[in-house]
Amino acid sequence: MLLDATRSHKLSVKPRGADMTTPFSRRRFLQTSVGTSSLVALGLDVPGFLARTAQAASLRRNGNRSKPDNVLVVIQLSGGNDGLNTVIPYADPLYAKNRILLRIPEQQIIKIDDHIGFHPSLSSFGELLEQDQLAVVQGVGYPNPDRSHFRSMDIWHSAAPKDLSPRTGWLGRALDSKAAKTTRDAAALHLGANELPLALVARETAVPSIDSLDAFRLRTSGGALTTDTLRELSQLPTQRESALAQFIQRSTLSAIDSSQRVQESLSEKSGPTTYPGYGLARKLQLVAQLIDAGMETGIYYVELAGFDTHSSQVDTHAALLRELGDSTTAFLKDLQARGQQDRVLVMSFSEFGRRVRENSSAGTDHGTAAPMFLAGAPVQSGAIGAHPSLIDLQAGDLKFHTDFRSVYAGVLDGWLGCDSSSILDGKFQPTPVLRV
Amino acid sequence: MAVTLMSRIDPNWAWEPYRPKRESPWNLQRVAHLYRRAAFGGRWQEIETALKAGPEKTLARLLNREPDQAEATSAFYADSETQVTALLATGNVENLPAWWLNLMARTPHPLLERVALVWHGHFATSAAKVEDAELMLAQNALIRRQALAEFQPLVLGMARDPAMLLWLDSATNKKAHPNENFAREVMELFCLGLGNYTENDIKESARAFTGWEVRHREFQFNSYQHDEGSKTVLGQTGNWNGEDIIRILLEQPAAAQFLVGKFYRAFISETDDPSPELIEALAAGYRKHNYNTGWLVERILSSNLFFSEHALGQRVKSPVEMAIGVMRGLNFSVNAFALADDLRAQGQAVFYPPNVKGWDGGREWINSAALLSRMNLIWAMVSGVDNRFKSPPDLAEIAAENGFTTPAEQVIWLTNLLLGGPLPADVQLRLTALAAENDNGSQRLARVVQAIAARPEFHVA
Repeated sequence: MLLDATRSHKLSVKPRGADMTTPFSRRRFLQTSVGTSSLVALGLDVPGFLARTAQAASLRRNGNRSKPDNVLVVIQLSGGNDGLNTVIPYADPLYAKNRILLRIPEQQIIKIDDHIGFHPSLSSFGELLEQDQLAVVQGVGYPNPDRSHFRSMDIWHSAAPKDLSPRTGWLGRALDSKAAKTTRDAAALHLGANELPLALVARETAVPSIDSLDAFRLRTSGGALTTDTLRELSQLPTQRESALAQFIQRSTLSAIDSSQRVQESLSEKSGPTTYPGYGLARKLQLVAQLIDAGMETGIYYVELAGFDTHSSQVDTHAALLRELGDSTTAFLKDLQARGQQDRVLVMSFSEFGRRVRENSSAGTDHGTAAPMFLAGAPVQSGAIGAHPSLIDLQAGDLKFHTDFRSVYAGVLDGWLGCDSSSILDGKFQPTPVLRV
Repeated sequence: MAVTLMSRIDPNWAWEPYRPKRESPWNLQRVAHLYRRAAFGGRWQEIETALKAGPEKTLARLLNREPDQAEATSAFYADSETQVTALLATGNVENLPAWWLNLMARTPHPLLERVALVWHGHFATSAAKVEDAELMLAQNALIRRQALAEFQPLVLGMARDPAMLLWLDSATNKKAHPNENFAREVMELFCLGLGNYTENDIKESARAFTGWEVRHREFQFNSYQHDEGSKTVLGQTGNWNGEDIIRILLEQPAAAQFLVGKFYRAFISETDDPSPELIEALAAGYRKHNYNTGWLVERILSSNLFFSEHALGQRVKSPVEMAIGVMRGLNFSVNAFALADDLRAQGQAVFYPPNVKGWDGGREWINSAALLSRMNLIWAMVSGVDNRFKSPPDLAEIAAENGFTTPAEQVIWLTNLLLGGPLPADVQLRLTALAAENDNGSQRLARVVQAIAARPEFHVA
């Protein structure tokens, strides 16, 4: 399923011969040749059809890399990312036909192989592919797609499409499935000013939302009211028992405890890596600081909003993809500098892709299948699955071939050490997103 | 609390007017509950008056119907119009949240603002995208005008509201390319709820709304772009326009049920799903009263169910409700701009809802970081130590004005006022110790309030 060698040749700025002589590439060459056909692994400039044949023939399995101190960072692209202008099937004439105003000229595309390539704003994702740090899962969706933002986001968050008013999210259930909490740190953290995403809503585990780390400082008027007094007072029983009051009481305890822990961790070092000036970059830098400070939080969740590009999308979409690519890449560099790269997996998703045909306002309307990205040292790098057909459509939308719950299963089983079948509503074949 | 399945509640009993009984007396707990839900929170004097006046007269007052109220209320809102003019002169859309928060804290008709806030979450439109103070205020005025009146003019007003149409990318809607966004939201979020229409109903309705557009920041109907063909929506076929679609939607049984469900969550309980029978019993009356929300809210606030264990403490205060409740209860004001910033960080910036669905509310408001923010905000407002809020209330003086002078009395007063009754005896004792601490007076009671804000009882409504 991987196209490491083919793809890396296309992306390489160095002459291929030189590339192949480096020890790093030789190592990758050997690894790659184990799993894919030797033709692809040779790194020859194979025509697209050969590459796709190789993709179909080489069945890979998902690696099991689960360890207690693994960290998952989820980046939610809110609004419905235009997948077709993110991973672009530039070689398909139907692409240009459907995207009259929005088409990215072929010479600007960061080519992955003879068929697909990245939007030019994702040049840093090209570099990540070069470094074996990016998996592109194509054609991800679910049956009977819903084009409502909220409903579809709920489906991605709950991973339970049949439940019309879901109460818990897939990550929340993953947290609940773990053994009793042994550390004082929050099991997961949401970095953002919005409400806690449904994905993180658990029955038992309270997940904090924070906008900046300063929010994690409990202020008191001093005197007799110390933090310890406040903690004790907050935990004395209530007059009447109510599930709601108990939930608030547990969350208050978690609040006061995390406040102390985060203040301790913040007094430690800050990293050497420069981040670009984006909101997403700022949040990912906080995540890197917390990870490096020894916080035992296993899941971080951040959002990048604005993908609902119904009109004049060219500049907006380019800017958003630039923010996504450059922030993610800076984050991975920072983790490397801090020696934390092997513990961290990044995953991005959006609630849906967009219509194949652009609309009359130089934008795109709500669609269906789109690519997902997994990034970091633990991933099985390359494109997974083919780009969905531009001719075999369903009501003007791309047909999915990979259920998002298969990708979740790959992450749950192989990274978070959960039993995905008890968390998702059914058994899903894990997508091979992790190195074996 | 004994858990009674909601399906076992007798719908007839539930919506009958509440009459004080031995097992459900008109007491401090119920008066404070009514004021929290209907008015963000009550001042001590209001609570004492209500205890004597009984439920009917108290509700009349909350509905702004007592003879002495009309004039003062009109004068207040006329004055707020003047403020709006000044606000618009600045042209700064970011001033809007402070303006509304200030209105909520000071209004003599808090129920109007409380319901307006519910509708703002229902028709959630964000200034972050609209970026036009005048249009956002026009929508806010539409909400206030219809908040306690009929729903049909409200939703029709929204269909023609420039801020709404800009927000939903529906400022242009051409015959050749009908924009489905408004047609979808009017069914999913405004009138029916998921599962009560099909994708085809959306496509057909979108055609009926073609030609409804915004030109030069005003709504206009462009007949050249209106699709005059026949459309079939929810089983009705005809050359429908947008008004027809709204009529058809409000003819669906699901419409009143959906809206009543929303008000159930806002005023009765967020912790249990009401049975369809319970909702329908009220929805039938809402339909009969032409979707008059004033009727609906009055019926809810005067019902047996509202004053029962099924409702008491079964909601989570939103950050706005929490802050405004403390300000109204202790009768003080703070810098509304600083307050707006703080509430925005807590996820509830009025005029800036997070998405088209508004705020989910309930447990979604609660997590450890949110609780830190809540405790820190209450601390900042009442201690005055934080330089954002410079004029803290003089708690000892307010207590003394109401006749509470000893630490024990002051603690009982604060818990009665903010929680509608005392905390368990051991907690009450610890609070009294804080109030009796031997140092500067104002911080003693500020610490008591901060400790109260660390209690779960403070965060439920």
